[in-house]
Amino acid sequence: MLEAVSEYRVILGVIGADCHAVGNKIITAVLSRNGIEVVNLGVMVSQDEFIQAAIEERADAILVSSIYGHGEIDCQGLRDRCEERGLGEILLYVGGNLVIGKRAFAEVEQRFLEMGFDRVFPPTVRLEDVVELLKTDIQSRRPLAYGHNSAAFGITERLSA
Amino acid sequence: MTEITNTRLDDATFDAERREVLQTWSTGPDVDFDAGVRLQEALPEAKRFPLALSRADAENRTLLQPRAGVALLREHIVLLNGLAPHCDVLPTTIDAYTRHNRYAEAQEGIDRSRAAGTSLLNGFPAVNHGVDGCRRLVEAVEKPVQVRHGTPDARLLAEITLCAGFSSYEGGGISYNIPYAKRVPLERSIRHWQYCDRLVGRYEEAGIRINREPFGPLTGTLVPPFVSHVVAILEGLLALEQGVRCLTLGYGQAGNLVQDIAALRSLRKLAHHYFLNAGYGDYQLTTVFHQWMGGFPEDEAQATAVICLGALVAKQARATKIIVKTPHEASGVPTMEANQAGLKATRQMVNMIADQNRVDGPEINAEVEIIEAEVHAVMRQILKLGRGDIARGAVEAFRVGVMDIPFAPAAANLGKLTPVRDNHGAIRIYDAGNVPLPRDVLAWHRDKIAERARAEGREASFNMVVDDVRAISASKLVGRPAA
Repeated sequence: MLEAVSEYRVILGVIGADCHAVGNKIITAVLSRNGIEVVNLGVMVSQDEFIQAAIEERADAILVSSIYGHGEIDCQGLRDRCEERGLGEILLYVGGNLVIGKRAFAEVEQRFLEMGFDRVFPPTVRLEDVVELLKTDIQSRRPLAYGHNSAAFGITERLSA
Repeated sequence: MTEITNTRLDDATFDAERREVLQTWSTGPDVDFDAGVRLQEALPEAKRFPLALSRADAENRTLLQPRAGVALLREHIVLLNGLAPHCDVLPTTIDAYTRHNRYAEAQEGIDRSRAAGTSLLNGFPAVNHGVDGCRRLVEAVEKPVQVRHGTPDARLLAEITLCAGFSSYEGGGISYNIPYAKRVPLERSIRHWQYCDRLVGRYEEAGIRINREPFGPLTGTLVPPFVSHVVAILEGLLALEQGVRCLTLGYGQAGNLVQDIAALRSLRKLAHHYFLNAGYGDYQLTTVFHQWMGGFPEDEAQATAVICLGALVAKQARATKIIVKTPHEASGVPTMEANQAGLKATRQMVNMIADQNRVDGPEINAEVEIIEAEVHAVMRQILKLGRGDIARGAVEAFRVGVMDIPFAPAAANLGKLTPVRDNHGAIRIYDAGNVPLPRDVLAWHRDKIAERARAEGREASFNMVVDDVRAISASKLVGRPAA
């Protein structure tokens, strides 16, 4: 099988002053069960803590959750900070209740894509779908130099796209 | 830090601490206790929270209360006045930065909200608005207002809001730490809440009754009734020791009708048992039921059904107050209209249940017995660990996992206790961790879980727990495997 242990490693956490822990534990459980190694920073994680962990763990992606509505404030500038620390190319996912009030998801998604996130998810997303997207996105970013079987898939996919 | 004990803070300690607390943000020095007492004395009866509760209790009515809070004062007043016709008592929900004493970030949120023309905060930053702003709020509304938050160190927030005429204060040293914080030592939050309770005690001694409400639902996700009952009883005892006399104990809807009715009925009885045994006689006790605190369906009609199930149980079990959810729950902070819709649906349900006969039966009695046995077993061990002192005992109990709250973010929580639903949706214990439940009670839980496992043709495992957490938002109570 292509999916060896720790082929995919991601940093997970709830950003800002948000202490919602339940979804965080569920995401960890579902991702781990599906072959993704999760470094879970838990709740109340600052931008710098996310980045520091991503560097130390050589992670493929940073998965940011926000449930409490302050996501718009808390996530501002995360992509820039990643670039400053040499992580300009890292995958950035964000999901949850990202803004105050009920706003059209397309509008929220656009807002966060502009902020530099690669994918934006509503709280109702099927986690199994996130797993698939995550694996595909990680593979497609793997450089040729890896000489890894699975990297070939990424490249053919990029060529055919 | 000296070891925590459940003893009343003496005046010198309290006064010295108060001087420090009031220096922690620029609005602090405006607090004047005597002015606060005069303002509270002058409040009309219609704005006094303890009075609303005692009247409802005496007349067997159930009060409705929404959650609401926005960044700016004027908008917050408009919001509360828009909700007031549909509810009995008002909230002021505090934003998450204030809850963690991050007042500079709260200020940034206020400024950005002003610039954006819409609230970017998930609550009302009462500390930043100060005594003056909060006073204007209390003046501008016609009903009692409570502070609702999730703050491990809520001392300055209490000083400011009580001085401004708020007459009820939610929270506690355990219930506002374990589900709401990551690295706050439990002895510290308990100590900080002793200060809040002592402040309420001082108002009481000055002739002003303030209602205190420990936060019942904790993490709001598969919390077994005995877990939240133990926390409610501990925080009740801690508050009584500091001079609090008006307590409302809470419980969050678990989902199974029989278990929820049993839980709410047993809560009052158990609390009286422990309070009276500890030597407190002169107190006023009421209960609050929280509608479903877990994940909600996104569809508004489906969400309304979840709200109505909670209303039914709360009224059937005679809760004094219901904390009402909204059809926007799945999307976060609701609009005023969505909040009104939740209140109206709840009112309709409460009215239809109010005159109906009390539901009773052997199933409810059996659940009550189980909950009582569980609470007594854990309380006994807490007293033992604390060598008779419940504050010390509580800290020790969490450290060794004798008390354990499922899905909590705090490092002070062991996180080994694992709940799962049984075949009828009641919450059972899958793994008790280090919680000292009696052997026959554990066997009972095991049998109930085995019944579900057989029905679903799969072994009980953490997968089942994950399915349960996600079930209600996917329109079911029990997380069954796909057919």
